[in-house]
Amino acid sequence: MKKNKFSFFALILVLVLALAACSSDGDSEGSNSDEKKELQIAYNAQPPTLDPLITTAVATRDVMRNVYESLLTLNKNFEITPLLAESYEQSEDGKTITFKLRKDIKFHNGDVMTADDVVASMTRWAETTSLGKTSFADATFSKVDEETVILEMKEPQFTVLHMLADPGQAAVIAPKSTIESATAEGLTEFIGTGPYKLVEWKADQYVHLAKFDDYQAIDEPASGLGGKKEAFIDDIYFQFVTDASTRLAGIQSGEYDIANAISFDNAEQLASNSDVKNSIDHNGFNGVVFNKKAGLFDNVVARQAVNAALNEEAILTAAFTSPDFYELEHGLMIKEQTEWYSEAGKDQYNQNDPEKAKELLKEAGYNGEEIVILSTRDYEDHYNAAVVVQQQLESIGMKVKLDIYDWATVLQKRADETAYDIFVTGFPTEPIPNKYVFLASSNEWPGWTNDPIIDDLLNKINTAASQEEAKQYFDALQEEFYEYLPMIKFGNKTTITTLRSNVEGMDFLQGIILWNVDKK
Amino acid sequence: MKGYILKRLLSLIPVLLVVAVVVFLLMHITPGDPAAVILGPEASPEEVAELREELGLNKPPIEQFISWFGNVLQGDFGTSIFMKQPVSQAFFEHLGPTLSLAIMAQVLAIVVAIPLGVLAAKFRGSILDQTFMGISLLGISVPSFLLGLFLILLIGVELKWLPVAGYKPIDAGLVNHIKYLILPAIALGSMQAALIARMTRSSMLDVLNANYIKTARSKGVKETIIVIKHTLRNAFIPILTIIGQTFGTLVAGAAVVETVFNIPGIGQLIINSVERRDFAVIQGSVMLIAVSYVLINLVIDLLYGVIDPRVRLGRK
Repeated sequence: MKKNKFSFFALILVLVLALAACSSDGDSEGSNSDEKKELQIAYNAQPPTLDPLITTAVATRDVMRNVYESLLTLNKNFEITPLLAESYEQSEDGKTITFKLRKDIKFHNGDVMTADDVVASMTRWAETTSLGKTSFADATFSKVDEETVILEMKEPQFTVLHMLADPGQAAVIAPKSTIESATAEGLTEFIGTGPYKLVEWKADQYVHLAKFDDYQAIDEPASGLGGKKEAFIDDIYFQFVTDASTRLAGIQSGEYDIANAISFDNAEQLASNSDVKNSIDHNGFNGVVFNKKAGLFDNVVARQAVNAALNEEAILTAAFTSPDFYELEHGLMIKEQTEWYSEAGKDQYNQNDPEKAKELLKEAGYNGEEIVILSTRDYEDHYNAAVVVQQQLESIGMKVKLDIYDWATVLQKRADETAYDIFVTGFPTEPIPNKYVFLASSNEWPGWTNDPIIDDLLNKINTAASQEEAKQYFDALQEEFYEYLPMIKFGNKTTITTLRSNVEGMDFLQGIILWNVDKK
Repeated sequence: MKGYILKRLLSLIPVLLVVAVVVFLLMHITPGDPAAVILGPEASPEEVAELREELGLNKPPIEQFISWFGNVLQGDFGTSIFMKQPVSQAFFEHLGPTLSLAIMAQVLAIVVAIPLGVLAAKFRGSILDQTFMGISLLGISVPSFLLGLFLILLIGVELKWLPVAGYKPIDAGLVNHIKYLILPAIALGSMQAALIARMTRSSMLDVLNANYIKTARSKGVKETIIVIKHTLRNAFIPILTIIGQTFGTLVAGAAVVETVFNIPGIGQLIINSVERRDFAVIQGSVMLIAVSYVLINLVIDLLYGVIDPRVRLGRK
């Protein structure tokens, strides 16, 4: 026994020495870039599923856009551009759209994409996603010949192409066989046509994508989510690193090549580091959504009081630290969306007028009751904004309580009309106004917007004959938005993605775009 | 001995029942809905309701509990809502990293702490003793996440000696495996090292004053042999107790360290599952951890007998 103890210590000593020796020569392993190019991404959130039709989570969207493609997509100006469709044609009456498919497009399993795959995929999309269910319930997709698919609708929809091109819950094309084997909880096999194929999803750790050798790029310059896609990287690893400080340390040390959702507080520190560079990209907007079903804010005047009180600049500064990372902007559609951008309602935005707010509050019959703002610390920008909103509302004499929970609880609480008066959340910039969930009453989305004028205008946009006509209705819609105030937009926000200085070619449109990225 | 082990194993059943009830109640009092998390922030309430129905979350809680606990007793801990795999499979997949980390931290702690404790006891009151004990006080006081962040900044970001975060399984090479674990193991093991060092010192001091040590000295036995052969072995029981107890806290403390270093272990599994309200995984993992606590304590109790024959005799 005594001898055993000596040998035990000796063994450990030897082990430790061996380890020390090994760990020092391990550093040279990183520089074998000639062989296979590998991209390590520190990504801030886990996808709840890899089926983009099931969830609206951005993690799924960002990872799977490398794997799946849709018939149409958006270029950098949010304009429609064909992807798996070679061309498309809308009939005179607007009720049918004919898609000519690109030829010899291969799935990751080697099969050639056919009209049957497209019909099965589009039908599943129309039956599964909220967009599909609300706008394509009466529509049918059918095969004309091997390379032609036709979409027939009962009524013409002006926004139909935009909906089909939408990158959130995109109408992706998968082999018919994988669609047939899908369960109610989603696909079980993830086979697409994209420049990268799925190798492995290790839950809680990473998603491993590999270059798809048979990918056929479109011969047009890359723009947004369309145009030429090239896979220069052999292996992409989305490492799920939920801790912000770990992403920061990892991008500084070179453990990762790309790290997303970097804290705004660290931007300056990283900007002064020549090993890395920051990519600052438009990422939608944040705002407060009113509970319009119960409590004080079922009264439109009370909502207008809050809108009059808010100083958006102070809120945005608290959330995003500097004007480099936010933009004071009233419009629901951003300036790049030239077909839509509207000045309507601008005078109602960022009023910062406490006197007017107090008067409106009195008019609304506010009697000092406590207002609950629902927010989370899981997103610091939400929380910081909520704190400033609370202060600003207190300064006009309201009694305000912050209810702070984790994100999962917020998601549940905000669906309960008795649990809150206001919640803070973020939205992506949508390609068409109709896609904003907080507009149509039929969405029944938390906050419960119920404005016949908005509903009517949405309908008119949807059935407009031309972009000019649609734009007119949208002007009116944005005017009404600032009158009715289903929510208050703070302003446009950005997100910081930090890259090692040798990583080039990353783009961003509703999330990072990794094809055409190369590592020098 | 066999009867003793059997008795200890049988005592697991009431423990499990209590744990099961508590965990289940906590889970169902906590707000948050896995269906809403899966479907994402822009899903409609209607879709959430449909998925809840499908996942069986609309059944009465008592019904859910009975069917779940019944399955647990048969060894079926349910299926993860998110990972679509059995909870026990998910648990054991995540157990590897945690065990690697805990063992590495424990080995580091023992290797550092016992010699320090022995030296401190041998040279009691000297500057050496005071320095070691000062360091160990620091080790107890500094929280592991703070030490972890400090190590990441210094060793990972500034000096670039070791990777800052992540995990490589053993099949990616032992060297790689260990390289990624060194910093988290130091962060996690420092408190254990401090506790073990202090316990070693005080336990050694007790024995060093015993009469049989004086006898050995008067017989002219070499001092190193007295310290290691005669004193350390006799002082080892309380040290082993501390090691056993701290191994449990290692697994618990790993949750924090795993988050800081992004290691896909049990701690991270549970934290992620709480964030997304994966009830089956939380309940199953807590049950399995309860089982392993009881088993670790049993092993430690049996080890007493190995080191000290008097304990063994006493049980017969």
